[in-house]
Amino acid sequence: MAGRPPRTVATEGVVLRRRPAGDADAILVLLTPGEGRVDAVARGVRKPQSKLRGHVEPVTRSRFLLAHGRSLDVVAQAESVDAYLGIKANLDALAAAIYCCELAERFAAERSPQPDLYLLLVDVLDALARGVNPALAARYFELHLLAVCGFELQVAACASCGAELPEADALFSAASGGLLCAACRVEVPGRLLSVRAQKVLRYARRAGVDAFCGVRVPAETAEEVRAALGEAVRAVLDAEPRSARFFETLPPS
Amino acid sequence: MPESLATPEPIQRLIEAFHRLPGIGPKSAQRLAYHLVRTSPQEAESLARAIVEARERIHYCSRCVNLTERDPCAVCADPRRDQSTICVVEQPLDVLAIERSGIYRGVYHVLHGILNPMEGIGPEHLHIDALVARVAGGDVREVIMATNPSLEGEATVMYIQRVLAPHGVRVTRLARGLPSGADLEYADTMTLARALEGRQEL
Repeated sequence: MAGRPPRTVATEGVVLRRRPAGDADAILVLLTPGEGRVDAVARGVRKPQSKLRGHVEPVTRSRFLLAHGRSLDVVAQAESVDAYLGIKANLDALAAAIYCCELAERFAAERSPQPDLYLLLVDVLDALARGVNPALAARYFELHLLAVCGFELQVAACASCGAELPEADALFSAASGGLLCAACRVEVPGRLLSVRAQKVLRYARRAGVDAFCGVRVPAETAEEVRAALGEAVRAVLDAEPRSARFFETLPPS
Repeated sequence: MPESLATPEPIQRLIEAFHRLPGIGPKSAQRLAYHLVRTSPQEAESLARAIVEARERIHYCSRCVNLTERDPCAVCADPRRDQSTICVVEQPLDVLAIERSGIYRGVYHVLHGILNPMEGIGPEHLHIDALVARVAGGDVREVIMATNPSLEGEATVMYIQRVLAPHGVRVTRLARGLPSGADLEYADTMTLARALEGRQEL
């Protein structure tokens, strides 16, 4: 006879979003390694005397004790593991972190283990808190997010025929799943990517986040990569991420 | 549903109108609507008049964007207030909260919201341009950021600090740390870090 599911679950998680509910409650959207995306109610968290308050801010990694409720889980306990103070003191890093959290929320499956996605998000948030280039960190996250969620872009060879790509401009087609060789790109909509932009994508795919974010990428190439990855993300979501505009249009510091 | 059991159309419209208000769910909307139709005609009329009058007579102050009957509002028009210090708040109710403290003698600027990129609320949805114009056009010495100490509040503070930087104005924010009556054991990293940063000499 199958046992009853446990009434509480202890898990680590990143708070992706928090929205107000009722007079003093909030609904948290969490990304956890073992349960995927979880929506949970934090009771009384908007009152100044709430003990949970600071532990459930968005862009915070915390340990949670979640009690299974009828429709939503309830946060019984929370203790922050990393509040990412380095991110919250820098507007560009914060905008990048908010963007990554939104993408994680939109891509993550509910109640389904997502250890790779969780590790990726924590890896990128850690790097942002250490002060890496926020724009490159976001590109790294987009590319690896697509891969861990089953939409891996082919950037090393032709996405259609698998042929090696010559050292020349190549067509990037989000619908076809990556770069296309000259023979396969006939009548396929997409954007031409320079050799340099292709190399940036390949390096992002194989390097760690710190190594990739340490690369000096000319503004023109960075824009090519941003547009291509943005298109790939939109193709999967079928919508523009809400925080993208804020992140991309911040005034210079 | 038989026609005899359906909610009468005027009540249904009233329920829908209440349901559009913030914090009112479908059940509360029903309760309010049924309560109103049972009150005396005078009471219902008086409520309707109060709504129409408030909507017609209340405007935005052309200086601080607070809600006011007269333009400029009482605070902006008061010669005893320090016009060179602007306290930036999220909502008109925050002005009342600060006024209740009786300590602040400067003027205000109401953003009518807060940056919340995940919900699609960007700087273009707030009255940030009006604040920048105020700072650019007047003798403002200090801008005090009094947004809530949340992630969105932090983002708003840093954004405004960035857009005001070219104007050379002093930008400060309310102190953050442990609230009175708090328990140190339960304090989170962020609050403790801010409390340590803002410690004071005894």
